[in-house]
Amino acid sequence: MNTFKVQVGAVTRDLPIVPVAPGVSVALFNMLGDTEVTEAAGRELARLLPADIDVLVTPEVKALSLAHVISRESGKPYIVIRKTQKPYMVDPVAREVVSITTGKPQLLVLDGFDVQKIRGRKVAIVDDVVSSGGTLHSIRQIIDEVGGEVAAVVAVFTEGQERPEVTALGHLPLFESDPTER
Amino acid sequence: MNNLNELTVRVGCLERRLPIVRTGNLERVPLVEFMGDSAFTNAAAQEMLALIPPQTQVLLTVVTNALPLTHELSDRSGIPYVCARKKRRTYMHEPLIQQVPSMSLGVTETLWLDGPHAARLTGQQVTIVQDVIASGGTAQALARLVERAGGTVSAYIAAFRRGAPPMAVRALQDLPTHL
Repeated sequence: MNTFKVQVGAVTRDLPIVPVAPGVSVALFNMLGDTEVTEAAGRELARLLPADIDVLVTPEVKALSLAHVISRESGKPYIVIRKTQKPYMVDPVAREVVSITTGKPQLLVLDGFDVQKIRGRKVAIVDDVVSSGGTLHSIRQIIDEVGGEVAAVVAVFTEGQERPEVTALGHLPLFESDPTER
Repeated sequence: MNNLNELTVRVGCLERRLPIVRTGNLERVPLVEFMGDSAFTNAAAQEMLALIPPQTQVLLTVVTNALPLTHELSDRSGIPYVCARKKRRTYMHEPLIQQVPSMSLGVTETLWLDGPHAARLTGQQVTIVQDVIASGGTAQALARLVERAGGTVSAYIAAFRRGAPPMAVRALQDLPTHL
């Protein structure tokens, strides 16, 4: 299997290159189950976080532990945007997005209970990889709608195009692949 | 003093008021949220370190609420963890698929464990980590994943136990069943 080497703080990983669409492959970065990378990335991103940020917002699932570490290190609270609406949510705010890794429309839902923690606050969005920007766009819309200000976007990696508005620790290219190969 | 819609719990030196919500089968249960609360997560992880049997080589959990808790336990104990998902992801390679025994009115759940992650359980002593163990259905499904991957379950640990699950659970405390 082809791999792509990345460095996160003092930790290196060889990411498997996997096809996601005809002719397109990505270096698969999955922090779930990787305590060392999550700690290294979280500590580094906490250091790069602008001082005036009030609250962190992250989509579930893969960036969840990362947001926890950034929150623990920076002392700033974090809010999780869910991918399904829960029966106990109060006045939830929802948006739909098409994700590059799943190819399917994905719902993003903010519990109305969390709205007051975002309204009038400076928000940093936390994600593992910012690629097409679809998820990011939808989260921005939700934060705008509830009256928060997106003051920073932090991620472990950007992918595909460079994104100067994202504070990232590295960049992942997209890979061309033989569309008949699987 | 608890009011009817909250339950106050204490973990380490922290106190939290858990909202009481109705679940699918119309039971009233306290909602334990580690997501979004790093201080509560850290306090629970610190206390739960003592619940991990010393022979444990890998921790196994499932998304979503127990994920930051398991990360913190893993970081503090130095024991790696593996996480099962509740949805298929396109990048999964030869995943193990495990049905959770149905517990609340017709709601079934399926757990997905990516093949390379399952391989990390092979031949290992595995401790199952959850936020709350109540009926034990999810815990049983996780145990089946461990067995199918060729590992051995050392223990079931949880921050909270509610009711009488069918397996021995090491928990920090019990939540009331009648609210």
